Parts: sequence; C-alpha cells; structure tokens
Amino acid sequence: MKILLIEDDREAASYLMQALDEAGHVTHHASDGETGYAMASSMDYDVLIVDRMLPRRDGLSIVESLRAEGSKTPVLILSALGEVDDRVTGLRAGGDDYLAKPYAFTELLARVEVLARRSSPSEAATAYEVGDLKLDRLSRKVEREGETILLQPREFRLLEYLMKNAGKVVTRTMLLENVWDYHFDPQTNVIDVHMSRLRSKIDKGHANPLLHTIRGAGYMIRE
Amino acid sequence: MSKIAQLWRTTTVRLTAIFILLFVIFSILLLTFLAYQSSIQIQQQQTHAIDREVEALRNIDSRQGVRGIVFALARLASQPGPGLYYLGDNSGLQIVGNIDNIPQNVLESEGVFSFDYNGPGFDEQDVNAEGREGYAVVRSLVLDSGLRLVVGRDVIERRGFTAIVFQGFFYAVIGILVFSVLAGVITSRRVLKRIDAINATSAKIMSGNLSERIPVTKANDEFDTLATSLNAMLDRIEGLMQGLKEVTDNVAHDLKTPLTRLRTKAEAALRESAGGETQRQALETTISESDKLIKTFNALLMIARAEAGAPSGAFADVDVSAVAADVAELYEPVAEEQGLAFETAIAPDVRLRANRELIGQAIVNLIENALKYFEPAEGRAGTIRIAVRSAGGRVLIEVADNGPGIPAEDRARVVERFVRLEKSRTEPGSGLGLSLVNAVARLHKGEFRIEDNAPGVRAVIDLPA
Repeated sequence: MKILLIEDDREAASYLMQALDEAGHVTHHASDGETGYAMASSMDYDVLIVDRMLPRRDGLSIVESLRAEGSKTPVLILSALGEVDDRVTGLRAGGDDYLAKPYAFTELLARVEVLARRSSPSEAATAYEVGDLKLDRLSRKVEREGETILLQPREFRLLEYLMKNAGKVVTRTMLLENVWDYHFDPQTNVIDVHMSRLRSKIDKGHANPLLHTIRGAGYMIRE
Repeated sequence: MSKIAQLWRTTTVRLTAIFILLFVIFSILLLTFLAYQSSIQIQQQQTHAIDREVEALRNIDSRQGVRGIVFALARLASQPGPGLYYLGDNSGLQIVGNIDNIPQNVLESEGVFSFDYNGPGFDEQDVNAEGREGYAVVRSLVLDSGLRLVVGRDVIERRGFTAIVFQGFFYAVIGILVFSVLAGVITSRRVLKRIDAINATSAKIMSGNLSERIPVTKANDEFDTLATSLNAMLDRIEGLMQGLKEVTDNVAHDLKTPLTRLRTKAEAALRESAGGETQRQALETTISESDKLIKTFNALLMIARAEAGAPSGAFADVDVSAVAADVAELYEPVAEEQGLAFETAIAPDVRLRANRELIGQAIVNLIENALKYFEPAEGRAGTIRIAVRSAGGRVLIEVADNGPGIPAEDRARVVERFVRLEKSRTEPGSGLGLSLVNAVARLHKGEFRIEDNAPGVRAVIDLPA
C-alpha cells in the first residue's frame, strides 16, 4: 500500500515510516502542510495520514482542498485534539477517520489498513463470505456450513463489521466506534465479552475457528 | 483637588447636581408663587376693610350729616394704627384727618389710589418721625354731603413684609442649595466608598489573594446585591482555581507514579542481558502501562473540558433513554459474566438538550464503577439496575446496586476528583470516573449525588429537562 504521511514531528514521522515499512507499506513523508498538499494532489496514494496542526498549512484545509478537487483518497486525521467536537469537525472537513494522539501504533495500522479497503468496490457488497461463514446484509441472515446462526441485532452488526474487514485487524476502539458509535475507551473488557459471545455462536462446534484474537491489537476474522 | 475632580466624574455627583438645579428652580417658582399669592391676599383684605369703613362713614354722613361725619372721622384719625383718614371740602381744604399732602389727582377724582406720602406717621409713639416715608393705599370719594372723603391704610409695613418674604426666600434658596450640595456629596461619598471597597477587593484578588471577598453590609441595597453576586462569582472562580490546583496535584500523583513505574520497568528490561522472552514481556507491560496513562490523561482532559463548560457546541437534542439503553446493552454481558443480574427501568423517550457523548460516557462510568467495586452482600444475588425517568421537570439517570454501599459521610467525598475510599485506594482504575460524571452533570446544569439504595448505592445524575 502506498501511504503519504504529512506530519511535522520528525521523530514520530520516522518511527511511523519505519513501522509502516515493516508492516509492508511504502510511505512518503511531508513535514509541512504546503509540501504535503502538493504531494497529495500530484501523486496517487492509497491512504493519507494527515496531522491536524502543521506548519504553513493546516491539516484540515489540505483535506478540504483535496475533496474539493474531487480526490477520493481515504484520509486518516491525526490530532492532539481528541474531543468529540474536534472529531466531528475533522470528519466534516472530509476526513474518513480520526485518531487522537497519543495513539498505539497497532491502532493506527489497523485503521489505515481498514481505510485503504474503502477505495475497493467491496463497500457496496450485499453479502460477505469468510470460509464457510456467510452473511447476507439484505436478508440479515448468517449461516455457517449451511446452518443458520441466530444473532442479536448488535451481534449482527459486529459480525458485519468484522467480515467487511475480513483479514484485517480491527481494534476494540474501532469496534466501539463503528458498531456502538461511541468514542471513548472503556476501562473494562466490554468488547471482549461481546466478542466471546459472538465467538461462541460462530465458532462453537467447528474445527477451524474464524474469529481470532490478535494479541495487543484487537480481533480479526479470517479463514 | 483631584479628589474633587474624581468626585465630579462620578455619576452620583452629576445626578445630584442636576437634581439640585431642578430643585432650586422649582423652589424659586414655588416661593414666588406663594409670596405673590399672600401679597394679593393681604391687599384684598385691606381693600375690603377700607371699603367697609367707607360704607360705614357714608351711612354716618347720610344719617348724621356733616357734624356726625366730622366727629367720626376725627375720632378715627386720632386712633393709633395704620388707618389714614382725610375729610375736606370741595375746594380741597382739609377739615379733619391724619394725612397731609395727598396728591391732587386723588382729591379730584374717585377710586382707589396708592401713593407715597410724607406723613406724621400713624404711630403715636412715633410722632417725631416727621417726614417719614409712607405708602398709602386709599379710596377717595365725594360724600352725599359734598365733602371729600379719603380712607386708606398705610402699607409701608407690607412693603417691609414683601422685603422680608424675599429675604427669607433668598436664605431658603441658599439653604436648599447648601443642603442639597451637602446631601449630594454625602451620598456620592457613600456610593464612592462602596465602589472603592469593591475596587480595593478586586485589586487584592488580582494581586493573588483569591479568598478576598467584597464586604456586604446589612443595608441589603443594590450594592449588597452586586457584592453578593460578585462574591458568588468569586466563589466559583476560587472553586475552579482550587479544582485546578487539585488537578495539578493529582496529575502529578496519578501520572507521575505510573510514569516512574514505566521508566523503572524499561530500565530493568534494558539490564536483562538475556533478552528474549523476559524482555518482550517487560516491553508489553510497558506498552499496557502507557495505554493506561493515555486513558488517565484522556479522562483528565475530558473532565477539564466538561468543567470548563466548553463543548456546548456539541449540545443537541438527545434521546437519553436510547443512550442509556445502548449502554445497558453494551454492559449487560459484562455484568452477567461477573454473575450479576442486570436490570433496566428506562422510561421511553426521555429527551434532553445535551452532549450525547458525555452523557453516554457518564452512564458508562457509573456502570463501570458499579461493576468494579461491587461486592455481593451475603445471601443476596448481586443486581445492578439502570433507570432513566423524568419527573417534575428533571431527568434522572440512576445506576444502583445492592452491594455493601458507601458510608453516608463518605458519599460526597467519593465524587471528588481522584478521591477514592481508603479501602479501594490500592485497587486499579484511575478513580476519575465519578469526577467526570460530576463534571458532566454540572456541564448540563444538574447535579450528581450518591444516595443510599438500602441496601447498596444509588448514583443519581439529576439534570434539568
């Protein structure tokens, strides 16, 4: 994946680039707003990671300009401002996701990989399939090996989100944001409890489990 | 001099000056009117008296003839008093009377006249006052007998009276002026003193003494109202400053401690020359420690924002019932995992202008708190109960348990930031949860309190609808 990182903190940027490189991504770096904007509008990237407060040009204005030019490249906004209102302004400006600093790299990586998927056409798919597990978004039916699995509405949405991002790590925060629409960190293991319930419905009695816990990161559904 | 200049700049003094001016003008008008009225009254009375006397003398003249009238007049003229009498023949020769040198025109026509005269005076004791100035008001007429009669009064007294009235008048105006200026100065000084007190207090506060308060008198006037509300504002500011200080202290405590721990662990890991699994484990602990730090930090920021009342932009019409139901659904499995029953009593469609995220977070915090500190009491199945209801213009969000409860004297303290009950001081968790709930309640102009659920604890967010 080709990623453009617009971030003025050089140390953070070099660490991020190294880590993204290890994760198998090609990363370009711009350390100020103007350069970043020039690079973003002249080259083709899969994902842009844009810091909100940048020298020479504000991160949000870069995103706004790119969107005004018709660019559909997914944008992850990074910011030290983590309040709900800030998130809303960030997303309104055209950002696809918003991550408050300080963040865990696993969180950033998971979000970037999920974002990049968005530009692929599977977004509009009416059904998802992972191995022998099938989810029909229209009839809201889930079956595995031909057996129907009954899910609560929230469990369905949880599974839907996981399957939409099959093969990618999704973090607990991402689940909380996308399935429950909450933007906070719960102190307790709420998500784990829900996941274990879902797991018992999906994987119980099957030889090969599909739901995997990725240590220190989150969850993943894959064959 | 500058004191006077300062005095003049004050609103009170200017108002007083205008007031004095108006008052003086009004007084002059009033006094003039009164003086004029009374002088007319006196004049009328005198003319009346003269006319009655003339009538009586006419009767005497017509009934008793010349002899009678001469006698009557002679008697009258010899009496002391302000009466002026003259009786003469038609050639202008005086027969009897106590007034000489009457102007010729008075003796030649009829009617009421007034003139200066030099007379012997009407006062017997003052006969020597020859040539004394007199001022006469007279009625002149020709009697049936053909004699000319002039009856009048010396009104020089009245002139004196008018002079006295005007003099009094003058002093009155001076007095009023002096009095009003004095009153003005005194009231302005009073007002200035109160304002000076407020200024002095603000100066002290600005120089750093936040506990200073504006003195409130017993007068209960508008200055006291102002002082009271300013003091209330100062209380709030002091509270905020106190809160800030506590936050700083607590940030120091709750962030520095884990930071130190973090550093120590990293150092220890570095010393492990063996590498491999132990080092890996140490690094993982380091990361999870730093995650906890980030959470603490975020919670602190959220509290600070909520307490500053900042995110009002995020206020919208929120279905509190839906939010509570969502959160309940999120936490129900967690409670069940802990072997607790989870009950909800959420009234439908309870709405509020609120910050959805913060309300949600507050409910989450209450539930997490209940889950974290729940200790089942003997012989009872543990239950956590979430209720949302609206009653009497209030929206009540309650999270109750039937655990051991919190002693009454500790309930208020529990709410305070970072203060945890001694027993649970060592348990994990940042201890910020309830502080945030409190801040959220205050942001929504409501309050957060902890009540006795008998048995257990009931945490209540009480918000105005």
